[in-house]
Amino acid sequence: MSAAAFERQIRPIYDALDTGSNKSAIVACNKLLKKHPKNVLVKALKALALIRSQKVEESLVLCDEVLQTKPTDDGVLTAMMHVLRGLGRHNDTVTMFEEAYKKMPANEDLGAQTFFANVRASRWKSAHQVATRMYKQFQDERYLFWSIMSAILQAKDVSTPSAMRPILYQLAHRLITSSPTPSYANADRFHLHLTILRELKLYEEANKLLDSDIGKSICATNLSCNELRREIYVQQGRIQLEAEQAEHLIVEKKDRNWLEFLSVIEGAIPATSPEGTTVDLEATGPKVSRVRELFLKIAEEDGTKDRSAPLALLEVEKRALHHGLSQDRGPLLTLLKQYFDKFGDKACCFEDLKPFLDLDGDDLAQLTSFLEAVPTSFTTVSDLRRLINSYKILRYTLPQSEITEEKEASRNAAYIKAYFEGLPLGDGLPSTELQPADDLALLAGNTYVNLWKLTGNDCHLLNAVYLLEFALTKSKQSFLTRLILIRLYRLLGALNAALEHYRAMQIKQVQHDTLSHLILSRASTFSLASTGDLTLATECLESTHIYLSNSQETADFIVRAFTGEKYSQIPEFIFFEDQLDNSLQRDTVKVEHVRMRLTHEVIQSDLIDLELIELKFIFDKVHYDNRDFAILPNYQPKVAQSLHEQTLLFDRPEGEVWLSTFLKTYIRAFQQASDLDDTVEEKLLVGDRPKQIADSEKKLPLRERLLQRDPKESESLTPDEIKFVDYTHALVDWLEPHHNHCRPPPAVVLAEAAKQTELKTGHPLKGIDIPPMNGNGHHKKNEEPPAIVDAPEVVVKYFETAKSRFQELQSKSSPSELLHVATLAQEAYLLLVTETLRFNKNPSLVKIHKLGNLVANFKALRSDAVSVLGEISSTLIKRAEDDGSSDSRHLCVDRCTPDLSSHIDHDFVFTCAKKICDSRKKVLDGVGKGIDRLRGTYA
Amino acid sequence: MSILRPFKASDMFKFNNINLDVWTETYGIGFYLSYLSRWPDLCCVQEAPSGRMMGYVLGKAEGTGPEWHGHVTAITVAPEYRRLSLARKMMSLLETVSEEVYQGYFVDLYVRCANVVAIEMYEKMGYSVYRRVREYYGNLGIGKGGKDEEDAFDMRKPLPRDVNRKSIRPNGRDIIVSAHDVS
Repeated sequence: MSAAAFERQIRPIYDALDTGSNKSAIVACNKLLKKHPKNVLVKALKALALIRSQKVEESLVLCDEVLQTKPTDDGVLTAMMHVLRGLGRHNDTVTMFEEAYKKMPANEDLGAQTFFANVRASRWKSAHQVATRMYKQFQDERYLFWSIMSAILQAKDVSTPSAMRPILYQLAHRLITSSPTPSYANADRFHLHLTILRELKLYEEANKLLDSDIGKSICATNLSCNELRREIYVQQGRIQLEAEQAEHLIVEKKDRNWLEFLSVIEGAIPATSPEGTTVDLEATGPKVSRVRELFLKIAEEDGTKDRSAPLALLEVEKRALHHGLSQDRGPLLTLLKQYFDKFGDKACCFEDLKPFLDLDGDDLAQLTSFLEAVPTSFTTVSDLRRLINSYKILRYTLPQSEITEEKEASRNAAYIKAYFEGLPLGDGLPSTELQPADDLALLAGNTYVNLWKLTGNDCHLLNAVYLLEFALTKSKQSFLTRLILIRLYRLLGALNAALEHYRAMQIKQVQHDTLSHLILSRASTFSLASTGDLTLATECLESTHIYLSNSQETADFIVRAFTGEKYSQIPEFIFFEDQLDNSLQRDTVKVEHVRMRLTHEVIQSDLIDLELIELKFIFDKVHYDNRDFAILPNYQPKVAQSLHEQTLLFDRPEGEVWLSTFLKTYIRAFQQASDLDDTVEEKLLVGDRPKQIADSEKKLPLRERLLQRDPKESESLTPDEIKFVDYTHALVDWLEPHHNHCRPPPAVVLAEAAKQTELKTGHPLKGIDIPPMNGNGHHKKNEEPPAIVDAPEVVVKYFETAKSRFQELQSKSSPSELLHVATLAQEAYLLLVTETLRFNKNPSLVKIHKLGNLVANFKALRSDAVSVLGEISSTLIKRAEDDGSSDSRHLCVDRCTPDLSSHIDHDFVFTCAKKICDSRKKVLDGVGKGIDRLRGTYA
Repeated sequence: MSILRPFKASDMFKFNNINLDVWTETYGIGFYLSYLSRWPDLCCVQEAPSGRMMGYVLGKAEGTGPEWHGHVTAITVAPEYRRLSLARKMMSLLETVSEEVYQGYFVDLYVRCANVVAIEMYEKMGYSVYRRVREYYGNLGIGKGGKDEEDAFDMRKPLPRDVNRKSIRPNGRDIIVSAHDVS
């Protein structure tokens, strides 16, 4: 067949792939393969269509066939690149391109593709080698810079031993100085050069570049290069020169970048002096006076146009006090008052002044009386903002003695009064605008929370909800109001109400990583997956899309940055990719999802094996915490806990310790239940393994690391969670010898896997030799079976203890903690099911290994658990009825304080109360019924 | 008073206080990375001394011949930092870079015809309407803006290289093009 005719036939396959019709692509491939059974391109395209239809095993077979032919054809390589990416086999992509490039060394494009394949796989060493080869051969300087960048990236990589790092930078330095065109021909090459010089502390060479005309002009228009310049100046102690240049920019060019002001201040008086030294007061004094004069002059010139100079004056004063250059806080106080007079009507005034509010005694009293004198006037928005700023500062500086229930209540009344008096100022605003009085409602919200913390009385949370829900009707786009509401509803056990606000925020893309903690932290407490309601489980899955798009897209942009020679961006992109890929929130959500999954799906070996592998991958990661907590509007006194800390569910923050504790617990439990040991896992694994970290302390074997308990557990886990973890570890310890004894040997497991694959795809599993089988598949070991002992106390007592905890918590008005204990008991039961699965599903195994006594032990445990769970379930269902009743609703409404009820319509309060009661009813009833269902499933 | 610094990929973890806003869209990560991988010098952030982000601008250079120009794709300031001339400072950086690094003829931006406040602000900065682009934006579904909500003004400010000031015209508001005709 002619090339043109073939091209005509292959076109529809590409079209089908482009439009996502993978099925028709497969059909078209099969048709062509009948005529051309050996055609590699068609095979590659079919492999692609297969992987896109999630038919991994079948795709694997074709994929390996194609790779064996060592393709060089562009179309085949491109298709295979996508196939291998889909399989997570980046290392194979590299090999494929390397072999193709070896065959056709004159093909520049192939060289570039090989380089990019290495970049995508973060294989910097070989990326460097490829780029070096390309530079020699094609003499394009770009390739020289690629090789330099790769050497630096290798130095930065976690898998590079620290001793190697300086050597790599020296290599990069040698290469960049060998470049025929100087680096300053292009800002990003210049940036790269400076990075190397900074790292190697070659300041003289750096100064030569920076002080040249071209260097200066690059730094004047390129913020990244200028940032580096400033760092290099500071690192080598060119503080005075930096201060002079900054002053020039401020005075002559009217530059108002705060960084320039900081440089000037740093030149006169450093923020801190190196440990064990003090600043030379005699030399500093005149310098400080000089910059004071300078800033005074600028402050006068700028008036209210710019805040830099007045703030710089405050910063100078703060430092002078810190170093003992002045003892009198009078001037600082005067500056604070002046600043407030000048900028008190700017929304950010409070935040501007926050760093300078470290006052006490008489000074604080002076500031307080100054701020208390701010008129309570509502004639203009400016007046209102001034009042709000004064409230915020007064609140922030409250000493501990002022934070009593009575005083907080009277403050709160003042905030609320001011809120309703200030509201009319925003009457005419379009619904897209925020209300100028919003912050007063947020202040009151903060105060209600503080009152709740002081008294433990939930009525404050209810009142906060009424007020903030009302504020939201006036200011529909106030995200900050929603954020507090989400936290409050979770504390109140009203999940649906929280979810409603979370959804209204339209969290998307990367925000899933930074903000999903709002609704998903400890979400399994509220999950109704056990009843088939997958709302929260779906929310978990949706929040993970961003990680998929990160692993699919970000590497493309790293490649693009290489193509466009934007070297300044490459390390940033890699860092970003890494932060998302190893996100703490990602894996916290993963654990929550596993916990929900166990309540929804039938617990069987497929589920256990799969989750085991995934959790083990996660366990070896070094996590980044990208969660955004700073977004919560915190207006609490600086001596008190922040709003974030106060409104944490169950008073415990999740974090690295929480995650690692739960990972260890689940990995251990699943390891016992699973037949996969490391050798089997290795053979069955499709994609690449995560990179190993050089110089890491994690050299201990996995088993030992799993057994380590974190001494800080109790800061992050609730007492009930700790009991659950203790229980699981004890359960696993108890059964471990029996699991190990009964687990089929790897060869048998592999043979079974091969059989399943063959049934599915018609092809045997590759690379696995299956030994001849003997008998019925149960392998009786020669060694003696381990002795059977009774279940440990922690395990036996667990459910009884949970029951008494549950009873204790029934008197609390919010059902959150009740749900916490109930869902943990349910989880403990499910892990008992998981741990005993091997023995319960297989009576002949019990017989062969004489495990009758052990099984009898399980039965007793299970019946205990089932009876406790039965009680918990019926109590929850009963509680759901009570909480959802009209009595409860009226009780909630009645707790609305007169402060609010004089302003907020009774019907509105009633609607809010109903929302809370209905949400509680739903979650209590669902969790209760779910527990009952699970009791039945595994009884 | 604020720190002016380059926009970095990791700023995506920090921009919630800016992006939780009805006028500001949060795009896929590819959107931000595509700007950073091509025009990093046209993307910058204003930051408070506390490290909190205040606003950011993302821009690009595009066009051919006398149409070669700097374009402001997104400029936004968090609600609590508005009315502090932050936008002006970021625009002025973008103009400087468009002029000195890219040697463009002008800088342009699109704005909803309904966003009167923003239009007035840009006019004060020396921008004027070059043309009206029909149905450039999706409906916000929030007001009675009608056409003004969906239509955009393409506003331009000439740079010194545009000696004959061809990038502006007095009757720009009356010149209407469809969204297909603009890139």
